[in-house]
Amino acid sequence: MEYSLGNVWIGLILVIIMFSAFYYVGWYSSRKTTNEADFYAAGFSIGPITNGLGMAATWASLATFLGVIALIQKLQVPFVYLWIQWAISIPLLTLLYGTSLRRMKVFTPASFIRSRYGKPSTVVIVCWMMLIMVMYALGQMIGLGQAFELLFGVPYNTGLIVAGLATVGFIAMGGMYGASYNAAFQMVVMCVAMIVPMGAIMKAMGSSGWWFPPLAYGDMVPAMLEKIPTFFDMKYDIRWYFALIPAFTLGPVALPHLAMRVFTSSSVKSARWAVVWFVLFLGLLFAGTYTAGFAGNFFVATTGNVIAKPDQTILILNLFYNPTLVAAFVMGGALAAGLSTVGGNLMAISGLVGNDLMSIIAPKMQAKQRVRYGYIALISGGVVAILLAFKPPAFLVTSILWAFGLLATTATPAILLGVWWKEANKLALIISSSICGVLFIIISPHVLPSIVVGKGLAAALGMSGGMVTVPLSFAMFIVLSIVFNRMPSLAAYAPTLEDKKVIDRIHGWGDEYEETRYNGITWPLVATVVCMAVFWWGLQPWS
Amino acid sequence: MKEKLYKKEIWITIIFSLLLMLAGHSATIFRLFPSMQQGTFWGFPTHYILPILLGWFGMMIVCAVMAVVCNKFDDDMEVLAEQSKNSKLTVSGR
Repeated sequence: MEYSLGNVWIGLILVIIMFSAFYYVGWYSSRKTTNEADFYAAGFSIGPITNGLGMAATWASLATFLGVIALIQKLQVPFVYLWIQWAISIPLLTLLYGTSLRRMKVFTPASFIRSRYGKPSTVVIVCWMMLIMVMYALGQMIGLGQAFELLFGVPYNTGLIVAGLATVGFIAMGGMYGASYNAAFQMVVMCVAMIVPMGAIMKAMGSSGWWFPPLAYGDMVPAMLEKIPTFFDMKYDIRWYFALIPAFTLGPVALPHLAMRVFTSSSVKSARWAVVWFVLFLGLLFAGTYTAGFAGNFFVATTGNVIAKPDQTILILNLFYNPTLVAAFVMGGALAAGLSTVGGNLMAISGLVGNDLMSIIAPKMQAKQRVRYGYIALISGGVVAILLAFKPPAFLVTSILWAFGLLATTATPAILLGVWWKEANKLALIISSSICGVLFIIISPHVLPSIVVGKGLAAALGMSGGMVTVPLSFAMFIVLSIVFNRMPSLAAYAPTLEDKKVIDRIHGWGDEYEETRYNGITWPLVATVVCMAVFWWGLQPWS
Repeated sequence: MKEKLYKKEIWITIIFSLLLMLAGHSATIFRLFPSMQQGTFWGFPTHYILPILLGWFGMMIVCAVMAVVCNKFDDDMEVLAEQSKNSKLTVSGR
């Protein structure tokens, strides 16, 4: 079976209504954008519920509707576990550095890197973050093109141009105000499109728990186990589960578009409450995704139908059990998921280039002019993603999950140690981030297939690679910092008193500076030993 | 007072990091102790539904407690910052 919407007009009307709403929000928001803080951080004014919805929408991408369900079909329950832990990202980010950086009123994590480590280190981190943001946006653009192809039956290239340009248009119009309000609205669309039609599907499948699809389908479990006895098996060894932490928990912590959502909060306290709403909304959507994955497996096992493209599982289930209008609405939910993520990606590219890079290239540039460059970067980033999506280079269409390991290796140590450790050295950051980042790429199966750590899915998704390079990057950064700070010839790279004062300030100490705070070497050395143990474990042969 | 607040900040960060990790990675515990992979809850195998519930409502509770505790900690920090600001003003006034 393949997804094909019988009536093109239904899809067209749905898309026109959705984009009209997005453009209206963009236009309305553009009237509020008067300065840099408005453009990059929505004037630091977004309240907890809107921000919680926006955070969840920015996190949930097209994959939530398409790729994940296909992977649950393939890997069954272990992939559900992989997906559950994504929810840690923003709470951990907020706890470990989000509120500190919000106190500093930065626009992106790289703005903090500039204040803490200086210009050369910022260029290194911005380059890594830009690569990952382009990979992210590219994946969503390809998905949007395919969604238009499915909805209207037009060629992929046509769908890509129309969807891509229409998307870049409303994001550029609204800046961060528009991205925030649109993301909140898109999250509502996503939840309704995922949950409500799934209730009808579960009822048709015979579940008595159709009234709450995310959690009430337990009565279908015996029938499922009869058809697929291994569905709930945990399958992989303990290292597979542990390997989720370095790549998939620590990687998203440094995602600039997620951090930027925290920075838009109306206050530090509001940011923390936004996180609570984020977990509630994201949990609801993700639980719906697991239900769809379960239902997809159940459908194939019990009806004998074959889903030719597992990516389309949720769409096919809706076409099979629900009216065409509902199936089109679910596609609208998938579109909303893609659009909210692209919105976050493009705002991050805009902030990284317009604010962080331009502040380095032209430090005397007026704020107004920097915002103009931000707009240019946003539109250029979108256009580049569209152009790449016509014929994407193989190394860029590697799963975005793989890129999380790259981010965990290159950027997470810089941010976390920068916030929590005064000894973190500028040169040590550049060396550890560059070497370990390149090493992560080398030992993955995507570039040099003959040099790979791990095998199968763990290697393809960067889990085995991340288990080697993430702890290595932390350890290298710590050891090199301690060594370099004690070498007079490298004194230029040692943290200055002003760098150290930044740390006290962002933790809320104001002008009360205390040299001994966040400044020991015992615990960083203990962390190094732990990191090296994990590194060694990651190097052992993978089954 | 300062030293106490500093230690409190470190402990809050460590404890909530661990709680978040536990809530999001509870499946690992079921893998670590396979004997726990028994029984059902709401009709589901416990090792399937509990990680979902902990990763959703469990984490939400952790985040709510985190918001209350960290916001209270911020209030304490603000009081300290205000006190040190006032003492500086008094010293400079003399």
